[in-house]
Amino acid sequence: MIELSRVSKSYAKSGVKAVNDADVTVKNGEIFGFLGPNGAGKTTTIKLMTGVLKPDSGTVSIDGIDMAERALDAKRRFGYVTDNPELFARLKASEYLNFVADVYGVDTADRRERVERYASLFEIKDVLNASIGSYSHGMKQKLLVTASLVHDPDNWILDEPMVGLDPRSSFNLKELMRERAAAGKTVFFSTHVMEVAERLCDRLSIINKGAILFTGTLAELKTRGGSDSSLEKLFLELVDDKEEAKA
Amino acid sequence: MKVYFSLAALYIRSFYNLPGKRAPGAKLDGKKIGKLVGMTVLVLFLLANLGVMFVGLNLGLYESLASVGMQGMLLLNAVVMATVMTLIIGFLTSLSTYYLNDMELQLLAMPIKPRALFAAKFTAVYVSEAIFSLFFILSAMVIFGIKEQPHPLMYLWGTLAAFLVPIPALAACYFVQVPLLSVARFLKNRQTILLVGGVLGLAMGLGFNLYYQTMFSRLATDPAWIAQNMAGPESLVAQAGRAWPPAYLAWKAMSQPASAQAALSLLGMAAFCLSFLAAAVLVLSGAYAKSLVGFNEVRLRRLGARTGEYLDRNLRRGHAFGTLVLREVRMMNREPMYLLNGPFIIVLMPVIFGIMLAAQKDAFLSDPDMAGLLALLQSGGGAVIAGLAGAFLGSGTSITCTAVSRDAKALPYIKSLPIKAGRYFLAKLAHGLIFGVFGAVAGVGLLTWALGLGASDAAAGLAMALGLSALVNMAGLWLDTANPRLKWDNPMAALKQNPNSVIMILGTMGLIGGAGYLAFSQGLSSWQAAAWFGLVPGVAFAALLAAFPAYAERRLAAMEV
Ligand SMILES: Nc1ncnc2c1ncn2[C@@H]1O[C@H](COP(=O)(O)OP(=O)(O)OP(=O)(O)O)[C@@H](O)[C@H]1O
Ligand SMILES: [Mg+2]
Repeated sequence: MIELSRVSKSYAKSGVKAVNDADVTVKNGEIFGFLGPNGAGKTTTIKLMTGVLKPDSGTVSIDGIDMAERALDAKRRFGYVTDNPELFARLKASEYLNFVADVYGVDTADRRERVERYASLFEIKDVLNASIGSYSHGMKQKLLVTASLVHDPDNWILDEPMVGLDPRSSFNLKELMRERAAAGKTVFFSTHVMEVAERLCDRLSIINKGAILFTGTLAELKTRGGSDSSLEKLFLELVDDKEEAKA
Repeated sequence: MKVYFSLAALYIRSFYNLPGKRAPGAKLDGKKIGKLVGMTVLVLFLLANLGVMFVGLNLGLYESLASVGMQGMLLLNAVVMATVMTLIIGFLTSLSTYYLNDMELQLLAMPIKPRALFAAKFTAVYVSEAIFSLFFILSAMVIFGIKEQPHPLMYLWGTLAAFLVPIPALAACYFVQVPLLSVARFLKNRQTILLVGGVLGLAMGLGFNLYYQTMFSRLATDPAWIAQNMAGPESLVAQAGRAWPPAYLAWKAMSQPASAQAALSLLGMAAFCLSFLAAAVLVLSGAYAKSLVGFNEVRLRRLGARTGEYLDRNLRRGHAFGTLVLREVRMMNREPMYLLNGPFIIVLMPVIFGIMLAAQKDAFLSDPDMAGLLALLQSGGGAVIAGLAGAFLGSGTSITCTAVSRDAKALPYIKSLPIKAGRYFLAKLAHGLIFGVFGAVAGVGLLTWALGLGASDAAAGLAMALGLSALVNMAGLWLDTANPRLKWDNPMAALKQNPNSVIMILGTMGLIGGAGYLAFSQGLSSWQAAAWFGLVPGVAFAALLAAFPAYAERRLAAMEV
């Protein structure tokens, strides 16, 4: 379970209020989608969730463990796929996986088995000897996904994971998300792709300009919007409404 | 033309890391002003350092030339030296910036004429060359001006000449590099290029040092020798100067500044130099743009049937702290720019000095002038010298003082992992100390061998080297934690354009110079020196180390990446 309660964050340097009083609760066994236009505050929210940034106010907890008080314990309980796969270009993929597994304290047999499974699924198994710098964008993304699961976490947090994936990999990733949710684990991901959100999410939130405009199921969103139109339409209406109200 | 100007501005800004235009409304606050002032002071300090060296060199030459009445040769010498130095520095700069990064491939995809692209690159490299050349020729002119009171027009001709001197030099560099990189595929790799460039650069730096040392060692005893061999009419420099038209013409203009001849000479020089530029742009532009393609290629070898075996062998549990240190080492050593400016120095410097010493050791120690020095070495001075050399090498890797900046891109991810902040930073310190100890041992070992020191002197020297270098490495990490450079788009910027590394290099020189001065002026015995410069810094290191993790944790939490 992931819980953000009344979380706000302004960047000190730019003074931008990136997240404003946000509440997010992701329950066990749920796939939760996080939608919003560019610069809405999705990545910032995820960084608050993963302890990369410290909120100005509000609390973050993972499986009931408070991030501010027991950061290390909380961080052991999730796997995180960042929005920037350009990391550690000089390391070999196998070295990177070992590094992550060592940090989480995964033993040799478990890491071997999990890497085998996910690297085969995403078809990067026979290039794990290569340096990450020689990977394509999508291959890096798949490596990040593999690394994020090497300790088999109960919570999975992904920042725009579909970007750069080919159709088969994208399909496999979605299957994996469903499988984990079915096993009672939480999956939280941000995306711009409405069709994915529509078909995959149990619940979703829409964020714009740092404020969460809606949280609930797709059916609830349709009731609220008063129409049976696509998520895309509802999303645009919701985001535009607020824009007009402000203007 | 407009495209050329904006491209040149873009290149210059990214080469020299100049700030872009300030956003309207953004105010200069106290911290920014402080940074600006700090950087200005730093730049002035570096320029002053260079100035002192150049002035010293030219003053030495002037005096030896004046002793035989040939002071006029000083200006020719300056122009030739500026030409040679801009050729060398230009070669290294143009090589290391030949292909900057993938941004250039995007430029290739835009409707930009290759001519504009090449000319813009040329301009950006030229800027630093011109400054360097001006600096050098100016220092010769000022000395000549004060001593000989020539017509003030000399300064004008000299300044103009200084701007022209680097042009053919740089054009020549590209005339070599463009064909070379168009043909030799194996060179089309930033890593190879940087390695080649780095080794060449170090070798050239050493050569220059040798030149400088030779001159100053003879200055007191034999100025006529210098005049004869290094700058006189029959010297190699003078012959080269007469054979190379721009140098000869510049010298002509500066020697008879008030004559009509002077203006004509300079005009001739300008025509000569600019024709090189025109030729380079006309001939090379197309080939240059073409040669940029393929720089970012990498090889990807598939494991195939060996996959299982590979994973069995390589996916193994490692030590929790060791894995952090290993990551630091790999991330640094596999980035050629980092390797060359960091760990590589402590391997290469001792090797080169070792070879030089091995060749000259006997002559060096049996020189009668060295008797006084030998006596000094026997009374504890040897331990101090060895200790300081070790401290210098052990502190010279720039590992810790750029450790946080280099890792800027990975910080968001690292912060999401269950790693204690203190351990993460201690891994960085450990990385620095591993190479620090290596440098200290290499430095002390080399001098112990060269000076024939006994075991107790060597041990005292090692204590100093370890204490001082540990302290410097700790201080460097503290500095980069307090004020890291987190925003960059080229890894080079995290090290080379990081004020922290400059501050630490200067600070180390100050510390070592100060320690040496104190040790010799107080006539410390080797054990006293070991206590003062080994034990005391060691205690300071321990004190800093104890306070560091808590501080680092607070700083890391505050870094908004
Ligand atoms: N490191 C930073 N420093 C200062 N401001 C930042 C930083 N990162 C993001 N911001 C600002 O915070 C706001 C939210 O950005 P964020 O990256 O969270 O958006 P996002 O929803 O993830 O957008 P996208 O869909 O483009 O990924 C933006 O206004 C952005 O400019
Ligand atoms: Mg984002």
